[in-house]
Amino acid sequence: MLIQFVLVIAVLLVLFVFVRSSNATYVQASKRVGLVLFALANVYAVMRPDDLTAIAKMLGVGRGTDLVLYALVVAFMAGMFSMYQRFRVVDRRYTELARTVAIREAEMVNSERGLRSAEVLSVATGDGDRTPVVTEDAKRPTIETADAKQ
Amino acid sequence: MAGSRNGKVNDDVWVIIPVYNEAQVLESVIQQVLEVFPNVVCIDDGSHDGSVETVLRTGAHLVRHPVNLGQGAALQTGLSYAKARPGARYFITFDADGQHRLEDASKMLDVARSGEADLVLGTRFAEDAASVPLLKRIVLRTAVLLSPAGRKLKLTDAHNGLRVITRPVADDLQITMNGMAHASEIVSYLGRSSWRVREIPVSIRYTEYSRSKGQSLLNGVNILFDLSVRHRGG
Repeated sequence: MLIQFVLVIAVLLVLFVFVRSSNATYVQASKRVGLVLFALANVYAVMRPDDLTAIAKMLGVGRGTDLVLYALVVAFMAGMFSMYQRFRVVDRRYTELARTVAIREAEMVNSERGLRSAEVLSVATGDGDRTPVVTEDAKRPTIETADAKQ
Repeated sequence: MAGSRNGKVNDDVWVIIPVYNEAQVLESVIQQVLEVFPNVVCIDDGSHDGSVETVLRTGAHLVRHPVNLGQGAALQTGLSYAKARPGARYFITFDADGQHRLEDASKMLDVARSGEADLVLGTRFAEDAASVPLLKRIVLRTAVLLSPAGRKLKLTDAHNGLRVITRPVADDLQITMNGMAHASEIVSYLGRSSWRVREIPVSIRYTEYSRSKGQSLLNGVNILFDLSVRHRGG
């Protein structure tokens, strides 16, 4: 039956877009276009049920309602994937936020506990028989180095 | 002892220990590590069993995630924290349950210091594979064979928690898989990059405790799913 062919292609297409495609703008745009087309198709199907049944017959499906159900399954799958991806993005931001908070707090707590890396200690006490390695991060006035100067 | 270039032993090394409810064994693990490596940072991933107090009793740095984020996130936090410490050049990831041996870590660090490799991974399969339980061995081998990067790099063990990371790699690496998929993420990152990777045989102490804490093999399914559906755009 033609419908089987169409459905399998649609499912594979959804999988491909979500797993493989790397162009964010393209994916986002196609999702939106897909959503609008789906909405329009639904309006049309409600307004002209007879046309829908004709299309269904052409594809080898008994009734128009069945065709709507099949389309819904594919759309649902695409929606789930989309939600999952969206969730991943949110999760990533949330992680960054938590990490920043955690490190900021840790820098204060650990310097209160009197913990420094050995290198900072030797810089602070000036027993420098070696040049401290100044990394990009160390150039920033962090809480720890500010503390060490006191 | 290797690495006493600057008079102080291993002070350019940071040991990163992700901690999630490990209070039972944590203190002795940290004490042992501190004897060899003076710089230790423990990342508490929202433990609720007193792990935090345990870390505070030791000389290890403590970073606390305000909420539970997962082991991958904890490793990345530890790396970010350690990278910001002055003079940090080598980063060792170490498990909190005491399954790794310090001798192995030192051996791997020596390889990294010699400049032969940018990143050194521990492998359980080089010599003494018998110490790994059979089912686990099969699953871990399959995980390596399934990953194109693992094959390319000729790795034998993609999921070992013991790693030595040199500064340039640490600056470039960004772990985004918060959960357990981070190990595979690191391997596929290495596959794409041109870093020189070496595997060093290590042995794992499969104690009753580490067995009970070890990740369930079913988790492999979750890892595969997370890895295949990468986040790409909104």
